[in-house]
Amino acid sequence: MHALRRLQLAFAESVFSPADARIASRVHENGLDPVRRVRVYHNNMFVGLTAALEAVYPIVHRLVGTDFFRFAAKEYIRDHPSRSGNLHCFGDHFGEFLARLPSAAGLPYLPDVARLDWAYHEVFHAAPGARLDIEGLQDVPLANWGKLCFNLHPASRLLESSYPVLRIWQVNREDYEDDPSVDLAEGGVRVLVLRTRLEIAMYPLSPGEYAWLGALAEGRDITRSFERAYAVEPDFDLKACLERHVIRGTLVDWHLANHDELAYQELLPSSTRAQCAEGKSPARRARLPFKGVEGRI
Amino acid sequence: MAVHTTTASRPGPIPVQAGIGLRAPHYRELLEWRPPIGWLEVHSENYFGRGGAPLYFLEQLRAHYPLSLHGVGLSLGSTDPLNMEHLNSLKTLISRFEPGLVSEHLSWSSVGGRYMNDLLPLPYTVEALSHVSQRVARVQDYLGRQILIENVSSYLQYEESRIPEWEFLAEVAERTDCGILLDVNNVFVSATNHGFDARSYLRAIPAEVIGEIHLAGFSVNRFDQGELLIDTHSRPVAAEVWALYREAIALYGPIATLIEWDTDVPPLSVLLNEARKADQILERHVDQFLEPYDARVA
Repeated sequence: MHALRRLQLAFAESVFSPADARIASRVHENGLDPVRRVRVYHNNMFVGLTAALEAVYPIVHRLVGTDFFRFAAKEYIRDHPSRSGNLHCFGDHFGEFLARLPSAAGLPYLPDVARLDWAYHEVFHAAPGARLDIEGLQDVPLANWGKLCFNLHPASRLLESSYPVLRIWQVNREDYEDDPSVDLAEGGVRVLVLRTRLEIAMYPLSPGEYAWLGALAEGRDITRSFERAYAVEPDFDLKACLERHVIRGTLVDWHLANHDELAYQELLPSSTRAQCAEGKSPARRARLPFKGVEGRI
Repeated sequence: MAVHTTTASRPGPIPVQAGIGLRAPHYRELLEWRPPIGWLEVHSENYFGRGGAPLYFLEQLRAHYPLSLHGVGLSLGSTDPLNMEHLNSLKTLISRFEPGLVSEHLSWSSVGGRYMNDLLPLPYTVEALSHVSQRVARVQDYLGRQILIENVSSYLQYEESRIPEWEFLAEVAERTDCGILLDVNNVFVSATNHGFDARSYLRAIPAEVIGEIHLAGFSVNRFDQGELLIDTHSRPVAAEVWALYREAIALYGPIATLIEWDTDVPPLSVLLNEARKADQILERHVDQFLEPYDARVA
């Protein structure tokens, strides 16, 4: 191995664990203990990455306070080192990490609040969505409506929690001035985080609505998505739900499923994990040329 | 979302004036007020997302100001493979915003896949010189344009270093045809921390390869034994750094100069005042004015 690589590996060890003196032994003293000099880089890294986490997780920060947040950040940086030169990618596992952190067990809703912070962060940087082609949709024959597939807005995320995390998140925002009380007995919540243009909103969803959007996001057609919604909410109103999400801008693109696609849909995992660079949505555009009977929303 | 501005209506190369680092708290104020500042610089990585407010505001501001892209995360000096995903994001950003200058640091920030997200010093050895020069050449080939390389502040020197930093920096430019972004604050910080002469550093860098100068504020860390200056970009430019900057401009002639301020970002007016000071120094040497630095496109 070359000398430069050996030096860089030793340097990194000392930055992560300041007790490791391998790099200090190769540094000029020049009036100041080499261990001190190396420690500047150790501090820089932990301060810089902690600030990055604070920026992405403002509500977690507010809930736990600065001291605990810094402690948790330090553990997290060691367990899940940054893997990118782009700091906006750092912190994607913080929610799971908090769920496993024994000292955070007293706040059982904290991991889900972290997931909501992360969803907000991802949506903030996600791609803009196209406008839904409603005119084209109206040309789809009614007989084919069951095969409609919709893509969700690239700047949208779905999240489910057993705790009222939407309320917790909202009352802990810096600009919130109303009644800050939260009743944990209120129970769980399903949330859509959606950015349209530059505005980011969080919408509570009914169980059926959440299941329906989740199924659409996985690429399932409207029939199969409805089956999912109906299974958890027998009086699920498909028409109202479709209207609401067209108006809201949650749905940005549509196509008709073909038979191959229907077969492959069953192979899809039940949830798609968002990536840092871009939420990987199964965005297929196999649009079939249909003309005929007018269909309306 | 924003309609892409046409190339023709965008301001061109970076002028030989002072510019300021563009930070999110100033987006709206700059757009509404549009102060007569020479140019703007952003951290490239802050615009690697696919949409949203950062790109929206940069698009708007780009229509009014020349722009420089300054990278902090490419990890040029690392012995890990070049991060092509990162480089691709940079290339996409360049084609979208058509910056007058693109710069990176003479440093490394990752090894073994772990990123420390800091500007870490290289040992100044023959091996490191050859390694970093090859990487700069590959990046320029890939981007199809020249980049500027910036000297960083450092808090330690390796015993195995054999080449003075200023010779190392000038040699990378000589070997790769890259330009130099000379950070006068970093020269001052490192000279103080390691006890070398900042003026010798300046004299060792050929004027014609310097495409840009950076000015920023440092902080002082005091220890029992002594102290270290830390490049924090959190304060006004220090009086000693202004003095060194005046010498640099007297030596090189006027060069596009950026005021950097990244933490505890002050009101816009404070940045504009710092920029005005730099402009006054540049104007005093206007008789030495040659041509604006023109980044060579491969």
